[in-house]
Amino acid sequence: MTTIEQVIVKEKRMTTSRWLRVLGWRHLVAIFSISFALFPLVWMASASFDQLGLVSAQKLIPDNIGLDNYRKIFNNPEAPYFIWYRNAVVISLANALLQMAIGACASYALSRFRFQGRKVTLLTILVVQMFPQLLSVTALFVLLAEINQSIPTLSFGSPLALIIIFAGGALGVNAWILKGFFDTIPTEIDESAKVDGASHAQIFFKIILPLALPALAVIVLLSFIGTMNEFVLTSVIMGVTGDPNDLTLAVGLQRFIDGQYDQQWGPFAAGALLAAIPVMLLFLFLQKYVVSGLTAGATKG
Amino acid sequence: MLKWTHKSPWILLKIFLLGALNSFTIWAVPILISNGSYVFAGYFIFATVVIDYVFLSKKRVAGKYIIPGVLLLIAFTIYPALFTGYIAFTNYSTGHILNKETAIEVLISNSYQSAADDSAYPARVATDNLTGEYVFIVQRPTGEITVARKESSATLPRSDVTLAEDGTIDSAIGFKLLSEDEIFAVSDVLSELSLQAGNDEFFKLVDIGIVERLIKTLEYDAEKDIITNTQTGEIYRPNDRGSMVSDSGEELEPGWQSTVGLYNFQRVIEDERYRAPMVQVLTWTFIFAFLVVLTTFFAGFLLALTLNHPKLKAKRIYRSILIVPYAMPGVLSMLTWRGMYNEDNGIINRIIGSELPWLSDPTLAKAAVLITQLWAGTPYMFLICTGAIQALSSEVIEAAQVDGASPSKIFWKIKLPLVLYSLTPLLIASYAYNFSNFNAIFLLTGGGPQIIESGGIAGHTDILISYTYRLAFTAGKGNDYGLASAVSFLNFAIIAIISVYGFRKSKSVENM
Repeated sequence: MTTIEQVIVKEKRMTTSRWLRVLGWRHLVAIFSISFALFPLVWMASASFDQLGLVSAQKLIPDNIGLDNYRKIFNNPEAPYFIWYRNAVVISLANALLQMAIGACASYALSRFRFQGRKVTLLTILVVQMFPQLLSVTALFVLLAEINQSIPTLSFGSPLALIIIFAGGALGVNAWILKGFFDTIPTEIDESAKVDGASHAQIFFKIILPLALPALAVIVLLSFIGTMNEFVLTSVIMGVTGDPNDLTLAVGLQRFIDGQYDQQWGPFAAGALLAAIPVMLLFLFLQKYVVSGLTAGATKG
Repeated sequence: MLKWTHKSPWILLKIFLLGALNSFTIWAVPILISNGSYVFAGYFIFATVVIDYVFLSKKRVAGKYIIPGVLLLIAFTIYPALFTGYIAFTNYSTGHILNKETAIEVLISNSYQSAADDSAYPARVATDNLTGEYVFIVQRPTGEITVARKESSATLPRSDVTLAEDGTIDSAIGFKLLSEDEIFAVSDVLSELSLQAGNDEFFKLVDIGIVERLIKTLEYDAEKDIITNTQTGEIYRPNDRGSMVSDSGEELEPGWQSTVGLYNFQRVIEDERYRAPMVQVLTWTFIFAFLVVLTTFFAGFLLALTLNHPKLKAKRIYRSILIVPYAMPGVLSMLTWRGMYNEDNGIINRIIGSELPWLSDPTLAKAAVLITQLWAGTPYMFLICTGAIQALSSEVIEAAQVDGASPSKIFWKIKLPLVLYSLTPLLIASYAYNFSNFNAIFLLTGGGPQIIESGGIAGHTDILISYTYRLAFTAGKGNDYGLASAVSFLNFAIIAIISVYGFRKSKSVENM
């Protein structure tokens, strides 16, 4: 009995020291990295519950815990938080779906058809994706100013104008990622469908798109995050009207802390924390696709 | 006969969408043309015709899929990019927005000044009994009485007017004179009125019962294309940068839009105010992008290696949490970091018990930017490194182990080079991305602290793109779109060179 017990204890000890050598330090590194990664989030949460709200959070767990900051952002007609939230989500979602649709259609053509101008289009996409739309913000401003004279509803302060402008960038990185993915779907599948009498639309909608679902998910997610994060174009196009109802979360919340002397960190933290929720949920939900989608470019070229 | 099939709803949808597009174009084009937007009108027609043709043709199958995207691409990416290129060769800026004709009209109408000493005359405000419009009935020093209206002026016969004892006008036939109270009631309207005094001169009400005579001080001679100051005799001629300039160098505001050749580029290179900050900004841009890629790659790579152990059960949870910064909306996390760096009561200074001026000291601000990017950029590198490490062939590593290679040798001679090789294109893309990572700078430090010598236009942490934005939209002297576009142009050229190099490396062009 005793010998068996001794053996078990001895083995366990050995495992513990081995565990420390092989795995223990890995846990330490992971925990250290995680605290660094979550640090700003924790600070944000703490600042958002700090009743004083005059300065940035003083302590990790503030003395006066309360929901004052949340009340402040919910009931401020000059900073209509829920309208910003709605604007941001609507614009980002519409843009994400549009980017995906335009990108998928174009990539299908580029991947499956050999047509005149194909190589030119591909090269154009290559060059264009190097040119951030941000760089041409002046030109877009002038363009909208001219459209404003004729069709004011499609100009400054119009979410539709912003969505259409973003859609102009759909044939960039997205099309490139999608085409790479479509290229990996064997052409034999559509050839045999064609023999069975399927039309190009049927092949696209019933065969290619379902197979490319992970890539489509990645495009939707990345475009959604990208639009939620877009700052310059949004602030120029939606900000010039001076109407706070036209803003989005990114541009609107920035104004809380933009003032030289009037920096409202408490309400900002509360607003930012809530703003991060949809993106984080979507991200965690689609996580496995993101990893393969991002590395596809590296391994497939 | 037409038969209802499963395709019919789609055909109806197609007809509906094409119909909507065509009606929109038919509605919008005349408006665009009437406002002089010929380029846009032309593009609308072109786009509609192309779409109609492609979607109604049975042959253009590829076109149906790619044309909508291409048309949007041309309108909102290629055209603005080319237009940016064009603006770089113009003087487009605050004070140079109008065309020449309008600018000269504005110059002339802004040049009205009260005529020398004898410019104030007694006058009464009245309404015309017939039209109801406001007029000034003015007594000139010569004794002549003038009725000043919006469009014209006329002399009133002396007999139509009766004078009060103090010599002011008491009544006038055909007009109803306003009392002081009545004038006060509409003083807002009256103070804005400039009424004709004849000979290109105007009367303006300056007090109850007193008007001032305004005369034009600038005169434009369209034939000679010069402006003459009628008071001083100074002559202004157009220069080749869209302004009227006198011989002594005085410039009239506003000027007009014109092409200025390489002037903007010349300013960046030769003008001391732009060159010195430009060199500093450009150097920091290269260093910033390089250091960000270097630090985030190594942090991500080491983290990926550490967590990539088959026995590490918690690695899935760790991975999910570690990529949280990547999922956080970047704008908000940058601003959050700004709060944490706060000098007086920021959490970072509290934790390390210091009072470091994180955002106002040039060196510390740069460190703050890099630390924040390490936080924001590592998750992405962690993700792609995890992918690349998992794709490494285990045979190579096992073979090395069998041959007795030490773990550090395996790391430096096998794992690192292989991962680097497969990730090179993504690293170059990341470099290009960070080269114009506007949010990372603008939202954290705003580019600051300022470089004093630049007159406040450039800051120590400004990268090229945030510097461009400041030139275009927030520079103190007004917005200089021309100069900003020239800098954008340079920025694009650099990114393009880096990216072309990257694509060469990844050989994607050959595979397409």
